[in-house]
Amino acid sequence: MSGHHDLGGTRTEAPVPRGQHAILPWEMRVDALMQLLSDPKRPGGALMSVDELRRGIESLSADEYRLLGYYERWLHSLIAVMAEKGVIERVALERRLAEVEHAHEREHARRGER
Amino acid sequence: MTPRFNPGERVRVLDKFTIGHVRTPRYIRGKRGVVERICGEFRKPEELAYGRYAGEREPLYRVRFAQCEVWPDYVGAAEDTLDVEIYEHWLEKTEDKR
Amino acid sequence: MSLEHARYDRNAELLERAFRELLVEKGVVSDAAVDAGVEFMYTRTPALGARVVARAWLDPGFKARLLEDGSAAVGELGIDIRSLKLVVVENTPMLHNLIVCTLCSCYPRMLLGLPPDWYKSVEYRSRAIREPRAVLAEFGLHLSAGVTVRVHDSTADMRYLVLPMRPEETDALSEAECAMLVTRDAMIGVALVDSPKNVL
Repeated sequence: MSGHHDLGGTRTEAPVPRGQHAILPWEMRVDALMQLLSDPKRPGGALMSVDELRRGIESLSADEYRLLGYYERWLHSLIAVMAEKGVIERVALERRLAEVEHAHEREHARRGER
Repeated sequence: MTPRFNPGERVRVLDKFTIGHVRTPRYIRGKRGVVERICGEFRKPEELAYGRYAGEREPLYRVRFAQCEVWPDYVGAAEDTLDVEIYEHWLEKTEDKR
Repeated sequence: MSLEHARYDRNAELLERAFRELLVEKGVVSDAAVDAGVEFMYTRTPALGARVVARAWLDPGFKARLLEDGSAAVGELGIDIRSLKLVVVENTPMLHNLIVCTLCSCYPRMLLGLPPDWYKSVEYRSRAIREPRAVLAEFGLHLSAGVTVRVHDSTADMRYLVLPMRPEETDALSEAECAMLVTRDAMIGVALVDSPKNVL
């Protein structure tokens, strides 16, 4: 962990970018997932803390930190923390991701044929 | 836990080697400021970040720093300040010789 | 496709779906709870913060309580900010406050909703604490040297709301009309609240 997130006062003269992207539904769901997983009132108690979310984000490489979007970083951190705790298994997630991508491609091909 | 520092007291942020998650930014380490308020008691982020939720709470302070003391090249008014929340285990007393 | 590869393509939407499906199947979360969480966040908007500001302008007792304990005072208005620990900092003719989170993007989300992209940018996070006046100038806000600029870095458990100054020509306005003048940017500290004679 090289502290590439610790940005206060680091030299840049670049102007603050003012563009605003329209938040996407999957991003809102990532936000909601974080609230649910870290809710102390959930049955069995919180599965993670905001501190673990931050630590997961800070553990990304400098390139990933820079290239991934804001909620992509959240998502990767949530996955890493849940995998760490054995709530999900990486192999199961990889398999499910492949299935979801495959279904997505089939759907796109089908639509392209109309 | 009785707070070690009181509002108005001058403190210095420790400048120590750390591994892993911390919430004390590098730019403020070693700097001196004044306690503006005690925010309450909270658990250490260094512990919470690794799933250790049951530790002791400790006082969290808002510390006010003079910008011209934080940045040698600061452009602004002499009275401009920077307020940062610092956990007690990151602070020590400092003698103000000014 | 391995997780390593997935990190660099843009199909985060599919990754989110795969992750959520596994969590739902394991009974960790439900789709209904995720939807409810999304719906709740849509209800968190700057209009809530604007109500707090307008009440503080019109009610000196409320303002004093707000500055003393932000969370408790917001609770008086029936606004549910969950476990948010709010510190309200007041702008005066001699003092201007600016909020940032250099380490990530901490923001009073339960009161104002999601932060704008610029607040989360590398540029804002690195420059706001070091050259606040230059950053404010970019936002069109030019402060004289006679005004002290105070920057708050939300490094820990507190979240911050700027109580902007009440503009001129608002004496005849109702609390709701005052609230309509208050912008999110004024509550972060990169803007002042416009006088109605400039807005209307």
